[in-house]
Amino acid sequence: MFDYLERQLPKLIMAPTAIVMLVCMYGFIGWTAALSFTKSRMLPQWEFVGWEQYERLFANPRWHVALDNLLVFTVLFIAIALFLGLMLAILLDRNIRNDGALRTIYLYPMAVSFIVTGTAWKWILNPGLGIEKMVRDLGFPDFEFRWLVEPDMAIYTIVIAAVWQSSGFVMAMFLAGLRGVDDSLIKAAQMDGASTFRTYWHIILPVMRPVFFGAVVILSHIAIKSFDLVQSLTGGGPGYSSDLPATFMYTHAFSRAQMGLGAASAMVMLAGVMAIIVPYLYSELRGKKS
Amino acid sequence: MNTSTLSQKLSKAFFITLLLVFALAYLGPLYVMLTTSFKGIEEIRNGNILALPETLNGSAWSKAWSSACTGGDCYGLAPYFWNSMRIVIPALLISTAVGALNGYVLSQWRFKGSNFLFGALLFGCFIPFQVILLPMAKLLAWLGLANTVPGLVLVHVIYGVAFTTLFFRNYYVGIPAELVRAARLDGAGFFAIFRHVFLPLSTPIVVVSVIWQFTQIWNDFLFGVVYSGPGTQPITVALNNLVNTTMGGKEYNVDMAAAVIAALPTLVVYIVAGKYFVRGLTAGAVKG
Amino acid sequence: MGSIQIQQLTKSFGDTEVLKGIDLDIKDGEFLILVGPSGCGKSTLMNSIAGLEDVTSGDILIDGNNVTDLSPKERDIAMVFQSYALYPTMSVSRNISFGLEMRKVPKPEIEQTVADVAQLLQIEHLLDRKPSQLSGGQRQRVAMGRALARNPRVFLFDEPLSNLDAKLRVEMRSEIKKLHKRLGTTIVYVTHDQVEAMTLADRIAVMKDGQVQQFGTPYEIYNNPANRFVADFMGSPPMNFIECVVMEDKLVIESQGEKFELLVKHGDRLKQVGADTVILGIRPEMITEPKPHVEGALVHSIPMNIEATEPMGPDTIAFGQWNNTEIQARLSPEAGVHAQSKGKIVVQVDTSKAVLFDAFTGARLDS
Repeated sequence: MFDYLERQLPKLIMAPTAIVMLVCMYGFIGWTAALSFTKSRMLPQWEFVGWEQYERLFANPRWHVALDNLLVFTVLFIAIALFLGLMLAILLDRNIRNDGALRTIYLYPMAVSFIVTGTAWKWILNPGLGIEKMVRDLGFPDFEFRWLVEPDMAIYTIVIAAVWQSSGFVMAMFLAGLRGVDDSLIKAAQMDGASTFRTYWHIILPVMRPVFFGAVVILSHIAIKSFDLVQSLTGGGPGYSSDLPATFMYTHAFSRAQMGLGAASAMVMLAGVMAIIVPYLYSELRGKKS
Repeated sequence: MNTSTLSQKLSKAFFITLLLVFALAYLGPLYVMLTTSFKGIEEIRNGNILALPETLNGSAWSKAWSSACTGGDCYGLAPYFWNSMRIVIPALLISTAVGALNGYVLSQWRFKGSNFLFGALLFGCFIPFQVILLPMAKLLAWLGLANTVPGLVLVHVIYGVAFTTLFFRNYYVGIPAELVRAARLDGAGFFAIFRHVFLPLSTPIVVVSVIWQFTQIWNDFLFGVVYSGPGTQPITVALNNLVNTTMGGKEYNVDMAAAVIAALPTLVVYIVAGKYFVRGLTAGAVKG
Repeated sequence: MGSIQIQQLTKSFGDTEVLKGIDLDIKDGEFLILVGPSGCGKSTLMNSIAGLEDVTSGDILIDGNNVTDLSPKERDIAMVFQSYALYPTMSVSRNISFGLEMRKVPKPEIEQTVADVAQLLQIEHLLDRKPSQLSGGQRQRVAMGRALARNPRVFLFDEPLSNLDAKLRVEMRSEIKKLHKRLGTTIVYVTHDQVEAMTLADRIAVMKDGQVQQFGTPYEIYNNPANRFVADFMGSPPMNFIECVVMEDKLVIESQGEKFELLVKHGDRLKQVGADTVILGIRPEMITEPKPHVEGALVHSIPMNIEATEPMGPDTIAFGQWNNTEIQARLSPEAGVHAQSKGKIVVQVDTSKAVLFDAFTGARLDS
């Protein structure tokens, strides 16, 4: 009898986690999905109204602002972070032997909360007392840098803060990838007379493709989930000009008593994340099987 | 053989300078936070953000810690600092322990559906939490844990276990299966093998898991802001409230001091055990 | 004390049948070796005996008790693994005593056992070290010590010597043999090295594709192989297989254009079989330079061309061709030198121990 119990032990141990996961991840997703098809406002009301909430969502100008912002933010954030991360990794890889200190400096922003990041940059970009004043004091009295309070430019401040926070991580990924490149490949290129630039362009970077993909996936994941940073840096403002889907969902589900609409926006966010993650995971796991 | 020509030396010097300039840029915000926190209000208004403080005025710090207003209350960040501690420590201990056992099962005791379970867990690491915010609120209310510290601990454990399981499972698959077979022949059962064979080998991954969880939970804002109430908020929520509450003139030095206080624990952890932190990031992320 | 009966054992992994009905009767105290090429199922069979793998059907009995459904712990079996599988965080002495700890043996008894085992294997000076601080040979001893300390009914050895260098392997081989003599416990030993099998075993089970091809003493297996596979697998250099045309009760060897007739032991069977050709199996040591022999024995003189020679020390292997097949002969060093310089030699072919195989199925024709 005890032997039977012992054999079932692995399953028993995993059972709580499996159940919790079933309920708190997949079950909850289903609940939110169901809610998005109801009329719910302040409290869940199980009166089904089909796609009405989604129609309302995509007719909502504020949601469109959030989506546009997401696009702008994601593209810029990923492009700049990739560029910076790659550049720093390449510079570190070739030039410094003891890069521990520098790596620590580039990476430490990842250790702090997005709230701290937002708070710090909110001060740095403060119109009147921040960078604007600093540059003016340096002798450029007409310099203006008020992005934080300009509706068209507010989203770019979020890009700046996010890049500061996450580019170190991209650098770490690329550095690990660069260090993993087979030395003999580089030596062969040198024997063939390739210049440093060509060696990188034709030989090293192609080998780093999986790292690129990994970084893009992770960065876009961070971008879609961005909530903390927006709350602390701009609060979604001025007005709702720097809103992102995550802040939209929060405001409507909790402050504005629009649960159904909030749920619909959450489901759209999920769809966006899945569109990126699922193909990536599929190709990764399939590659591992062989 | 002399390999460095003058142009090579010059370009190397250029690149190093570039790296240093970037280093300064990355350190910039930290520098600004610290210097601003030690300045007086007048000094802030009249000076510029890059200037060093004239005198080291610590009043902003004591205000941030014990008397600044975070929304309705004016107790400073101190109570919320301890809230975060009371949330983080149990949550990371429980999620690490559960993750270790789960990783042990998934890596060494395959059963029908264990791979599927692992895939489902892995996928769960990526979902945007917006999709579970509302139903989780209902669950917490139903359990009577709404707006409580234990409630937040529960939430962080539930969603942290996916990550910790991933860490431990990826680590434990590296332990040779013959070791488990030898232990079984020696008469060790499921728990005995875990205790005598796996646990002694787990120090590196436990460190990674603890550091990762500490950072994630301490820095969390979303769960904090949704599932806490007045008095039970974590420090990130309190900081945000402090900065966005303007009673009278804005006190930037207090804001900055508060931000540094909120950032200190994870920064200290990072500086002390940074390489394990990096290992955790790249191991969890790159290997998927 | 440790007899093992394996009855109709089958084991499938999903759709693949790895063990196809194994029947083995291992006597108490016997040194049994499972030998075969990779993938033949010997390790799976070993793991099934240990209880580390479930069986699909069939029974395993130890001392008459059916242990098929028992856990490894309850079977009272100890195993030495190919990679030694020593617990990396435990000292040598704890590695040895761990199994006893798990069985709740009283501490003084554990200490005594560890001391005895360490003395037997000459590892007393290593007791406080960790596995990472030991050499390969030392780790091997500790792995054996761990098995010995348990005083089990059966020892299982899973290719324990394959990770050692050649010289150490020979040393450890004789140590294991001495240990078996001393303890008298049943040993089941897996190896892919047929020399190891021949030197250590009381009986050998030759396996291929999940089936036992032959089960017998080294002598039986070597001199009376059940089929072509066994004949080819055992023996180094390997047996010569020559396809010969059958002439009534004799076989035809063609060398350098000339034909020669060979008499074999069961020549009359050839007529019964009625085949046009058969495979003649004859070991290189039966093809030598002319030597004194008993009159009337099945001894022939046949010329052989020399394509190459391999001086091995005590003798020289000569390569030639008969019936368009490469053959190997064992010559004395002097004959080898002579043959190499002349490019040919007349060899003495003794067919008294030769065996015959069906040209299509490889089955024995004359057993």
